[in-house]
Amino acid sequence: MTYFKLALRLLWRDARSGELTILLLALVIAVTSSTAISLFSDRLQGTMNQQAADFMAADLLITGPTKISHDWLEKARQLNLKAANGAEFSTVLIENEQLLLSSLKAVSQHYPLRGYLKTRQADYQDEQRVYSGPVVGEVWVDQRVLTSLGVNIGEPLQVGELSLTISRILSYEPDKSGTFYSLSPRVMMHIDDLAKTAILQAGSRVQYLFQFSGEEADIKQFTAWLDGKLSASQRLLDVHDNRPEIGAALERAERYLGLSSILVILIAGVAIAMAARRYTERHFNATAILRCLGCQQNQVLSLYGIQILVVGLVGSSIGCLLGWFAQYGLFYLLADLLPSTIASASLLALVIGFITGLVTLLGFALPPLLRLKKVSPLRVLRRELEPLSSSAWLVYGLAASIVAGMVWYFTQDLKLSLIIIGVGFVTLGVLAGLIVLVLLAVKTFLPKLTLSWRLGIQELVREPKANIGQILAFSITLLAMLLSFTVRNDLLKDWQNQLPANAANYFAINIFPDQVADLKLLFKQKSIPTGEFYPVVRGRLISVNNQLAKEIVAKDSVGERSIQRDLSLTWSSNLPEGNEIIAGSWQLEQASYQVSIEQELAESLHAKVGDKLGFTIRQKDFTAVISSIRKVQWDNMKPNFYLIFSPGTLDSYPSTLITSFYLSKENKPALNQLVKQYPSMTVLEVEMLLKQFEKILTQLSQAIDYLLLFALLAGISVLFASIYSTLDSRMYSGALLRTLGSSRKLLKKSQFIEFATLGLIASLLAIIAKEFVSYFLYQQVLHMPYQVNYWVWVVMPTTVSICLGFAGMFGLRRVLTSSPVQVLRNL
Amino acid sequence: MIISASNINQVVTSSEGELSILKDVNISIKRGESVAIIGTSGSGKTTLLSLLAGLDTATSGEISLDGKNLGKLDEDGRASLRNELIGFVFQSFQLLPTLTALENVMLPLELVGDAKAEQAATELLTRVGLAHRLTHLPKQLSGGEQQRVALARAFVTKPTILFADEPTGNLDSKTGRDVIDLLFELNQENNTTLVLVTHDLRLAERCQRTIQLEEGRVVV
Repeated sequence: MTYFKLALRLLWRDARSGELTILLLALVIAVTSSTAISLFSDRLQGTMNQQAADFMAADLLITGPTKISHDWLEKARQLNLKAANGAEFSTVLIENEQLLLSSLKAVSQHYPLRGYLKTRQADYQDEQRVYSGPVVGEVWVDQRVLTSLGVNIGEPLQVGELSLTISRILSYEPDKSGTFYSLSPRVMMHIDDLAKTAILQAGSRVQYLFQFSGEEADIKQFTAWLDGKLSASQRLLDVHDNRPEIGAALERAERYLGLSSILVILIAGVAIAMAARRYTERHFNATAILRCLGCQQNQVLSLYGIQILVVGLVGSSIGCLLGWFAQYGLFYLLADLLPSTIASASLLALVIGFITGLVTLLGFALPPLLRLKKVSPLRVLRRELEPLSSSAWLVYGLAASIVAGMVWYFTQDLKLSLIIIGVGFVTLGVLAGLIVLVLLAVKTFLPKLTLSWRLGIQELVREPKANIGQILAFSITLLAMLLSFTVRNDLLKDWQNQLPANAANYFAINIFPDQVADLKLLFKQKSIPTGEFYPVVRGRLISVNNQLAKEIVAKDSVGERSIQRDLSLTWSSNLPEGNEIIAGSWQLEQASYQVSIEQELAESLHAKVGDKLGFTIRQKDFTAVISSIRKVQWDNMKPNFYLIFSPGTLDSYPSTLITSFYLSKENKPALNQLVKQYPSMTVLEVEMLLKQFEKILTQLSQAIDYLLLFALLAGISVLFASIYSTLDSRMYSGALLRTLGSSRKLLKKSQFIEFATLGLIASLLAIIAKEFVSYFLYQQVLHMPYQVNYWVWVVMPTTVSICLGFAGMFGLRRVLTSSPVQVLRNL
Repeated sequence: MIISASNINQVVTSSEGELSILKDVNISIKRGESVAIIGTSGSGKTTLLSLLAGLDTATSGEISLDGKNLGKLDEDGRASLRNELIGFVFQSFQLLPTLTALENVMLPLELVGDAKAEQAATELLTRVGLAHRLTHLPKQLSGGEQQRVALARAFVTKPTILFADEPTGNLDSKTGRDVIDLLFELNQENNTTLVLVTHDLRLAERCQRTIQLEEGRVVV
């Protein structure tokens, strides 16, 4: 106990003197960002787990592109389960000459079986909970439908061929899925009205929902009975499933937000390591005295270990508290992509954030701290005796292990983790090497510079190892921010800019075969240029050479995304425009069960010409042999397909057709006629799709930028950690210079030059790295033309240099304000 | 003999090659004796003190403190022995700057978990005339006061041996005399064996015996 009290006393005195401020600050920044992410993920998980039944509006849900067998419904009835059913699909509404792509859901009498809906009977009225859906003849709509189409409650809404009365505003729906189309405003109607709309026909793109509720034992029995009966396209979810449909985009966003927080931890870790190193060095003398008085090596380690642990507990606690508030920022930025009601956080999320802080502190502060164990008592008589530095393996190995562990924790994928870690280390290595070269080059110019420049630059080149850490921290943060900002802007600009003047700006889907001739005629009459009409059957890719495709594909790959949903399968005897054969041959003979596959999908599946692909359509399985591999120009605004079959392969399945067309602004009224005449057809406006995508992209990147702010704060803590680690020697040289007659102005100027140069080097390196990464990204991944952003080359280095120059001057003000005689006496 | 050193050699390696600091040094000191080790600057006095106190290990030879062979103890063993047997007074005081006078004196007792550390420290600081300065930090004390705190710290464990390295080196002559008087008083009260390293011959004369070093050798 006495020992513990001694440790706390030493800690309190050091804390009061500001010794541990930077270390604590860096730790708080790291824990705040990781806790915010942990809470965010935990609350999303909790939303799905704890409210699973309400979230599904049932105890059991079966979804799929086809209706279930009547036997299943009969079995459910026998087990005393309550049942509800529905259908969900996209359709275009037209009122007051306005068009709106909406997400329509038709529900049966007992929906929702669990949970409730929330509606309003007028604008700005209070919400009411209701426990059943709209009645026959009525429709409930999202507020956006009213504002976009200029309609009101009580007025009619044309849905396909049926006119329904808008009776309520729907503000909350428990089981709204998080797909791209769920961002379209919702329209809810009674399922008995669906047939009269004439929108759905065989082959239409629709998701059927069959919901069941009852006693848990009965549900289990029903689930067991269903085992083996579901087709590959159908999905069964019960309350224990972790991830009901909330969207792959959201899962990915969670992963990338987590990786952003690792960047924060890494940079904060550098600040912690620097601050710990200074703290350690300033305690060599005290440790020597303690050793002299009889303190053993492990007792020294315990004494300082207790202190660091207490700092960790305090820092992690503050960080957890701030993280609690910071997570609300993430929810605010991603509000449109998330369910409207989010579960509360669990204690575990806070514990994870807390432990992250302790682990980070341990990983980055332990190696410097271990030096104290090696301090010789002889140092009381020989000040020059310093303990050897910790092994570089220990220093870097511990930090690297922690970062690697965190990457794996967020990705849950070993291969992806290794790629990220590998790329990360290579990037750091290359940047560090460049920094060394730049500093060496700068050193050669030293003798030619004026005094203030020489004094400033000298500080940079004198301790290259310490300065590499600072410059790297800022470079990495600036690189991440630059990439996030420029890629987002360039991506959206490119899609808008590269379209030829008359490129198709609309897609029409769900066209039925018997409508094609008349539709083509109508397009011609209206002078609307169209592309080819391609038949489409929805089916799922299952296997490659009899091996399940899910065992082959990597996480986040084209292949993984392609097997998780039904694909649009087509057939053609001619090679479509914008497609180029790169392997095999195109000749697709009639009914030969051959298929041509897109290049990236083939690579993702490790498939080649001659391999057999297995498919399932409407519970019927079949295989097709790969006859060719195609390179596809995806951005040509024409329908493009991953898989094109030989004609006759898919004849036995009901199909719809898809085409694209160009509609000028002047000809837009023709669209209204098209939609009115063909209510089952869904028209997608490219511009509207881009706007929706832009919205998602902007929100996600804003969330990442929010976290990168923490990285910037961590970078600033590195700057101050570095300043304080060299403060003693700077004060000494400053005192000497002033004693010899140097003015404060000269010293101020040299300080500004030093940090402005540091900022200049960091920002230029970040920009160079960003150009390389962008070039690779744009050419190889995004297939966009690469161009240099010249304004970045001017604005960023100027801004960063000036900011860091002033920050450095602020941090070093003690050098100018302390009395030279006091400094020389004390040192 | 409380301290016994036989055939001590200390060689260090520098950029100019090997340097012999001590050569064939043999010393014996009786319990309760006061011995001054004198010599010019660079004669090896401080090195000898560091070896006798167990702060460093000799290149060759054997040193025993109270019958315990230092060469057979590891670093922690020597630390333990220091706490048990030895008190130190240094030229530059060597107080922990963030602890008060009282806390500095308590330190050796706290390291072994002595619950009465505060009481013992207070008594000793009163003895050295600093009862009114218990809560002051070293930077708030004069040089003489700091050295008296160091003396109190050295004697709080009632050491068997006291090693003092130029205890008045950083003090003016009057303050130095006061401190030395106090040192010898405490020494007598505690019946401590005193080993004092100094280049001040008048100080050396106050000890019972003098050992003179010249170029690393004991001058007979």
